[in-house]
Amino acid sequence: MLIIKTEKIDEFLEELKTNFSVFNIGGSLSDGGMSFKKYFFPPVEKIFSKTSTSNVEVMKAPKKFILLGLDLPDLEALTYLDEIMQNPNEDFFYLQKRKQSVVIGLTAENIDTAPGGDIVFQDVGETKYRVWENTAKGKKLIKKYKRFFEESDINAGADSDGAPQIPNNESLGEWSRSMRELLLDSEFLAKAVEWSRDHPIWDELGKKCLGCGICTYVCPLCHCFSIEDSVGLDDKCSRCRKWDACTLPDFAKIAGGHNFRPSIKERYYDWFYHKFVRGYNEYGKSQCVGCERCKELCPAGIDIYEILSVILKDYKKTLAES
Amino acid sequence: MRLKKTMIDKNKKPRVAIYDFTDCEGCEVKLVSLRERLLALEKKIDIVNWRLGQERFESGPYDITIIEGTPIHHHEISLLKELRENSKILVALGACAALAGIPGIMPEKDRKVWYEKIYSSQYHPAGVDAVPLSAYVDVDFAIHGCPVDEDEVVRVFEELLAGKTPSYRGFSVCFDCKQAGNPCRIAEEKKPCLGPITQGGCKAVCVSGGSPCYGCFGIREEANIPSLVKILEKIADPKTVERYLTMFHNRTKEILELKDNEK
Repeated sequence: MLIIKTEKIDEFLEELKTNFSVFNIGGSLSDGGMSFKKYFFPPVEKIFSKTSTSNVEVMKAPKKFILLGLDLPDLEALTYLDEIMQNPNEDFFYLQKRKQSVVIGLTAENIDTAPGGDIVFQDVGETKYRVWENTAKGKKLIKKYKRFFEESDINAGADSDGAPQIPNNESLGEWSRSMRELLLDSEFLAKAVEWSRDHPIWDELGKKCLGCGICTYVCPLCHCFSIEDSVGLDDKCSRCRKWDACTLPDFAKIAGGHNFRPSIKERYYDWFYHKFVRGYNEYGKSQCVGCERCKELCPAGIDIYEILSVILKDYKKTLAES
Repeated sequence: MRLKKTMIDKNKKPRVAIYDFTDCEGCEVKLVSLRERLLALEKKIDIVNWRLGQERFESGPYDITIIEGTPIHHHEISLLKELRENSKILVALGACAALAGIPGIMPEKDRKVWYEKIYSSQYHPAGVDAVPLSAYVDVDFAIHGCPVDEDEVVRVFEELLAGKTPSYRGFSVCFDCKQAGNPCRIAEEKKPCLGPITQGGCKAVCVSGGSPCYGCFGIREEANIPSLVKILEKIADPKTVERYLTMFHNRTKEILELKDNEK
């Protein structure tokens, strides 16, 4: 199978940089915790503009770029976000940028298939990475730079099933592992979160949550936005789309000032409702990959795993009693 | 703050006056720093009175009056009330006008100590405590900041000129701060910050530059101030928390209410 040696990776990247813009995601907390999401769906983007005499000028796609270093949860999130942005309607501005990208994942987890992205480098120890060519776009890139890659038999020490002996150097933290275990049964999570609407935990969270929106900004799957129109001093009218956050007061406010979710409690519950109930109903799985960003970056120290654990415990109790 | 339906007549260049009371004038310098955009703006508005920026000095009524600073003398208070009567739209410019800001930090009894030290006991000051403009008159809109952000100034003018009621930013400084790629002061560095309760739009210049957010952009609508205070009290002593909350907000109703509730 195809491998790349550790010492070749830097050379490969240097070579890539001569032809493309290369962005490195780094760890999940680098760049203020902003995930890959901003490269395809920027926090603020002017999508088109026009004047009274000119035609509509639609935002142009960026040049081809490489996005590097997405870990296992991020790769899964990217696959999921692609789905959200294509079904039921295609999001032109997301796909426009997505098409221009080649995404290279990086993981030390034991994977038996590439969870997303165009290419995945899997750390298999002994200073080499197994290379998963996940898409035609990925294959094409590797073909172009094939001198950095080589065929190697990492199955040398395969056991009787023929499974490769890959050292167990798992990279995800304990929190992510526990969260991802809960996510395995997203149907149950959906039922529990829907059931929990009147649970006292939401009153507590309504008092605790600052409504700052950080959790939604750093979430690789949150994708709600608002639209702002403006008329510039140059008489150019522009339409801009901007990340919104369901924890903010204006999110469910409509013309005339009515707010469908007048308190933080309702807004915060809605965040969970979209992730775990609507996510399951609409796409068959929770809109969470256990990347841990929301937990690490919440100024109020809110931990979604803890909340889900309380809800699940009480939901199970209710089920047992009925 | 009141929102008036009678916005400006789009067929006429609005008559604009720019006044300043007690402050550092830094926000007016920001207007000058608009440079080319100020020239573009001047094609759309008629600045008929601006002490700092031009010689032209025409009396009211005005369509839009922009007021920087806060009145601390009874002459200034009368002038403010007069300007309100003579203006269709009154806009507070910057933290001093909108929040009382830095001049609002020190109440009279503390000022007295310094008057004596600096000017001797013979000195009889005529000044009163600095409070937000809204304590004296209705303010139609406040452009927040210490100093104001140039893009925000342009945005407010664009909205006024388009016949819209300008809107406050419904998001926190945290949105700006994440875009700037900063680590979270509170969550990661365990340092105090008012970003989560403060209106965004400032580009998080302070946090990006290594300083905390002291909330000069005004309290964001429906901010959860009590929760932030609890969080800050876990990472800083009560005196520090008090200092953060009173840097710009010593005289704002949100923080005064918070203090009343604590009593």
